[in-house]
Amino acid sequence: MNRKNAPKTHKTGAISFVSPEKILLNESAPLYWLGDISNETARIDICFDAGLRKGKNSIASMTSSLLLSGTSLKSSTEIHNQLDDLGAFFDIGLSHEGVMVSLFALKSNISEAYEVLLDAITNACFPESEFQEIKAEKIQKFKININRVGVLAQRAFQKQLYHGTEYAEVSNEIELQKVERTELLKFHKANYVSGLFKIAIVGALAELQIQHIRNISKAFCIKKPLEFKSDFFNKPGAIHIEKKDAVQTAIRIGKTLFNKTNKDFLDMSILNTILGDYFGSRLMKNIREDKGYTYGIGSIISESGGSGYLLIGSEVGKEHLQAALDEVKKEMYLLCDEKIKKEELDLVKNHLLGQMLKISDGPYAMMDLFLSVESYGMSSDFYNSYIQRIHDIDASAILRMANAHLNWSDMSVISAG
Amino acid sequence: MIEFERYTLKNGLKVLLHYDKATPMVVVNTLYDVGARDEHEDKTGFAHLFEHLMFGGSIHVKDFDQELQKAGGESNAFTSNDLTNYYEIIPANNIETALWLESDRMLSLAFTDKSLEVQRNVVIEEFKQRYLNQPYGDVWLKLRPLAYSKHPYKWATIGKDIAHIERAEMSDVKKFFKKFYCPSNAILCISGNFDSGSIKHLVEKYYGTIPGGKKPARLLPIEPTQKEFREKIIQRDVSADAFYYAFHMSERKNIGYYLADFLSDAIGKDQSSLLNIALKKEQNMVSEINAFITGSLDHGLFLITGKLSEGVDFDTLDNALWKELEKIKVEGFSDRKLNSLKNKLSTAKAFQEQGLLNKSISLCMFELLGDANGINEEMQIYNSIENSDILNFANSILKRENCSLLKVNKTK
Repeated sequence: MNRKNAPKTHKTGAISFVSPEKILLNESAPLYWLGDISNETARIDICFDAGLRKGKNSIASMTSSLLLSGTSLKSSTEIHNQLDDLGAFFDIGLSHEGVMVSLFALKSNISEAYEVLLDAITNACFPESEFQEIKAEKIQKFKININRVGVLAQRAFQKQLYHGTEYAEVSNEIELQKVERTELLKFHKANYVSGLFKIAIVGALAELQIQHIRNISKAFCIKKPLEFKSDFFNKPGAIHIEKKDAVQTAIRIGKTLFNKTNKDFLDMSILNTILGDYFGSRLMKNIREDKGYTYGIGSIISESGGSGYLLIGSEVGKEHLQAALDEVKKEMYLLCDEKIKKEELDLVKNHLLGQMLKISDGPYAMMDLFLSVESYGMSSDFYNSYIQRIHDIDASAILRMANAHLNWSDMSVISAG
Repeated sequence: MIEFERYTLKNGLKVLLHYDKATPMVVVNTLYDVGARDEHEDKTGFAHLFEHLMFGGSIHVKDFDQELQKAGGESNAFTSNDLTNYYEIIPANNIETALWLESDRMLSLAFTDKSLEVQRNVVIEEFKQRYLNQPYGDVWLKLRPLAYSKHPYKWATIGKDIAHIERAEMSDVKKFFKKFYCPSNAILCISGNFDSGSIKHLVEKYYGTIPGGKKPARLLPIEPTQKEFREKIIQRDVSADAFYYAFHMSERKNIGYYLADFLSDAIGKDQSSLLNIALKKEQNMVSEINAFITGSLDHGLFLITGKLSEGVDFDTLDNALWKELEKIKVEGFSDRKLNSLKNKLSTAKAFQEQGLLNKSISLCMFELLGDANGINEEMQIYNSIENSDILNFANSILKRENCSLLKVNKTK
């Protein structure tokens, strides 16, 4: 064996994307079920139209934190104890455009756990003591986090990205202090009690269990389909936030883009990978692996209901700020000026195909992939098109994409440190 | 039940094979029996810096990541006080690429000056990002030397001091590789959808000819039994006072490890845990409180940490906390509580067993402890825990003389 020669590599095999079964909760809200799973685990995701866009930041966030704080019949402790008895875990995720509560349990217990959870959420009464407790906790967390350079930069980035819209609002201490319990009650009634817009179930449950989940949930569903704001335009330009004692500076660079429904989305995703979305990306290779300015740098494309954005983020040694910004700029120009070489493009294609295989491994992964296209009214065919596009895309298309979307002058450039 | 096959190559490399036909992927996981505890006190942070250098090219391969990415794979690694672990996740039909790359860097590294220079800087930035530029970021750098006086757990994996990393030289790198990175000091686990007919042949092809080396003897200083309460107060520019109670506990192989894990879940894992209910919900003394264990292989730490509510002082919390701990030492927990903890552990275990990477790392860890099959036995141990065990255990460790307390005082 000659160790200098790489073993022959093989093309990634075809992936068969599985779509869950669709059952209507009502005319606007679906329940998705993926039941073909060979082990005992199960997960139920419940989505509510109660995201940050629905109210002032701190109200949406406090309400989501207090979903299991008690009902008129049960204390918070009793609710948690009941879920514990069933060996269930839950997780609450809050974004601009919704709240997703995920319940994890063995399939034998999940229906019962779901009843406890749904009852707690829909009948939450926000006891005063729990409210005061979470308020104090949020204020303390806010005061701690506002000293992180990453948080400072992210907040400023959000303001520039969404400027002039309600998405630009970020919470602050004064606003947190002012929140009253009655606001939470009002918010809860409007956005939870009749705000359920999707349920997704993975698990080998019985048909009857699914029907039961559907029956007890449908009363809380939205009455008409959700609509999302789409006209965002970031405010370009540089902002620096000085933090004297910091030893690193956080960088956030980005601009408004679009979501999966846009014709450029697939090509832009591939370009984003080349730029900064894998270990061998241009940004990592240059700024970490060649210059050593940072522990990590990356770029992502993030999506919202009606829009999306590009974001490059890093924390660099304070003395390297200008050099790091110059290098990011240089990498963008390079992608706009020079066609990517075949060797690099082939590598990125193989990497992406391998990633696609990895992220479609198993029923939970299949459901997650489905959910991330379903929100845009698309089907899992999206992934077949994506794989096809990875095979087909050439250097000219990448160059075109870079010139359309990677202009430094369009970027909001934030630094904090 | 996770099934696996185990054998050892002539050069001493232990191999674990776990076949899973449900996945299209393969994970190649390599654990080296070396961690920060094996470092010299004047050259700390080295095991971790070395982990970075393992990606800087090997004897026959210039660019590790590039070759892996070409085959659709990805890789990462982590270092702890006890061990260093590397993995590749790759489409099953390209398994050979992962074996080629991982075996070549076991054979020898390229040892380039450029890689050392850059990774020194990267690790220094990591040090700043994780430990210096975060509120409460440096508490572990202070807590370890308070709790440990002799054992090398007294320094963190990242190192005692940035200066140690700055001073690392190529001769150190080479010596470290020669001593610790050899087949006899490693465990290889391959899991996923490999071809079971040819896998052993492939392993032999890539690893069989690597000189075995000698498994280094480990003679670590033993931490003397703590006899009196220790306390340290530091001032930091943060907005809440924070406390870190650290109690010495048993080593990983001892049943005490499982009891500690169980007890920490019961008193401080989530909102329904005992300290959360008593000190946060009922008495409003803390804005957060957690209990957890370090999970170390040698004698570890059982921790209770948290932040004081605005207007509460350390002494008030201290009194209330010890009152709760004394109550546990007398009463333990109800049957309901014990059962619910066991149910939660069962659920967590069932979810963990679905992750290919997770399984691979766990198999290697248990093999390092002496038997990979430990992965299939731990649930039984948790299920056998009774209230009397908890009582004995709580009484043996939750004592003031077994405790080190670090307080972070806000300056604002």
